[in-house]
Amino acid sequence: MTRRDLIRTGLLAVILAPFAALFRKRAETGTGYFWQIDPDKCVQCGKCETECILPQSAVKCVHQYASCGYCLFCSGYYQDKRIEFNTAGENMRCPTDAIIRTYVEDPYFEYKIDEEKCIGCGKCVKGCLSFGNGSLFLQVRRDLCRNCNECRIAKACPADAFVRVPADKPYIYRKPPEVKS
Amino acid sequence: MTQLPVLLAAQARFPAPEFESYSLPQMSLEELAADSVLWRVLVLCIFLAAGSVSFYKWRSRKAMLAYSLAGLAVFGFLFASCPCPVGMFQNVAQGIADGSYIQPGVLLLFAIPLAASLFVGRIFCGGACPLGAIQELLHWKSVFVPRPLDRILRMVPVLLLLIFTVCAMYGIGFPLCYLEPYLPVFLLDFATPFAILSAVFLIVGLFISRPFCRYVCPYGVLLRFFSLFSMLKPRITAAECVNCRLCEQGCPNGAVLPPENAGNAVQRRTGSRRLSMLVACIPFALFAGGLFGYFCAPVLSSFHRDVRLLHELDAGIRSEAVEAFESTETTESELRARVVKLENGILLASTAAGVLFGAAVMAELIAEARRRKEEEIYTIDPSLCFCCGRCYAACPLERKEKHHEK
Repeated sequence: MTRRDLIRTGLLAVILAPFAALFRKRAETGTGYFWQIDPDKCVQCGKCETECILPQSAVKCVHQYASCGYCLFCSGYYQDKRIEFNTAGENMRCPTDAIIRTYVEDPYFEYKIDEEKCIGCGKCVKGCLSFGNGSLFLQVRRDLCRNCNECRIAKACPADAFVRVPADKPYIYRKPPEVKS
Repeated sequence: MTQLPVLLAAQARFPAPEFESYSLPQMSLEELAADSVLWRVLVLCIFLAAGSVSFYKWRSRKAMLAYSLAGLAVFGFLFASCPCPVGMFQNVAQGIADGSYIQPGVLLLFAIPLAASLFVGRIFCGGACPLGAIQELLHWKSVFVPRPLDRILRMVPVLLLLIFTVCAMYGIGFPLCYLEPYLPVFLLDFATPFAILSAVFLIVGLFISRPFCRYVCPYGVLLRFFSLFSMLKPRITAAECVNCRLCEQGCPNGAVLPPENAGNAVQRRTGSRRLSMLVACIPFALFAGGLFGYFCAPVLSSFHRDVRLLHELDAGIRSEAVEAFESTETTESELRARVVKLENGILLASTAAGVLFGAAVMAELIAEARRRKEEEIYTIDPSLCFCCGRCYAACPLERKEKHHEK
């Protein structure tokens, strides 16, 4: 064995040993972590829409039906400065028309988020919080998120609302949805 | 938490209605997307093996070009710049600091090229690295960088590696990712202001071979170091070298070293005097490096969000972050304690990084002043060779041999 071989073996150990240690450390932490928004901290600044590296943000609005009031005049659905209560663009809160309103029974309406259209801007969340029950909230979608260690939204979030949650834990809701039989 | 009472009050405002024939729909939250990184690790291993065979066995420039092309297609566009030499080391550094950030796939992608460089040199840079591949293919005419400038610019990657490791470990962020010049090309997204940077690098790359690999890439610093001890070393020709210099002119990366002669006694004496001077300078260089790191620390920590938040609080700036902070439970003293701890950590790490940088500069200078082993023929420095195979194509003896084989 030449001196060079010895150095090479030593360096290989230098590469492999810390990595073995890191793997062990990783195994101890379990399934890994996932980015989520803590809805109680979120201030709906709108950065989720613009900061995500994906062409369309992995953050979407989620409707927690259990706490929805099914209002006729939904402040998440209509603009504050609406002209009339109809679906004309100037009356709508959502910039991409991603909230689908369907009649349930008098006087209640169901509001559903069209995920294809939702850009995660949080305008409806803010609107709902301002007057309604706050049943809408923003959340990182696991099926879309690339789970970057360096999440750009997390870095830009003014409220520090981005938290890392063990991947086997369920989503964080605004408040635990009431179980209705 | 101050939001909660408001929320509860709001909930009382519109109680959930009692429906006759309507049940609540399911919330639309789904499961985790599958992790595809381990599959990429496998592809990377296949690439490295194929690259090694075409470089060391076939000794073919054309095969290496095909290797780069395949690397660009697969790693660059299909995997969207996946084994990224810029992102990987920052991810690993962050994982070292906080175990919860460790991603096994990234760890493997980081370690495999390093381990491979101990056996086959910088085959990874040759074409498996998407950034290397694009620079290899988009190089037109070689303009040689003057030697002194080359030696100075070579220290930039070392500096970047050290600074951004500290940044990643202390949660300042991965700022280098935003400056990665080829990312807009791979993502085909030219709307960002950083696309200007990619245009600059692509144009410079037409004339100066691999500007990013040689003068920016922080991961390349590690590969360069490890490939010094590579088991297989590229050899320009198996036949007897006639010292025609064609390979030296053919190598745009300055990796071909001319024959080393003993020189006369006077030269040797000045050489050894210079060397001993340099060795005597080592402690001063380390101290100067440490001092540099010490003074850089406040600048680095000022980029951390907590430090910035505290600064805004102290200065009375009503920013979004300050307003959001005031709505949380964290008190100002808690934040202050956190910032002090953070700043101390960064100070220590930055000083250590400065010392390491001083050591790296000295190592470079000493390597330059040291007398090399006597060689009668042109040799390749494995730490600077990007395995492009241009020297094989340039060597007339190699060509003759290939011709005979046919």
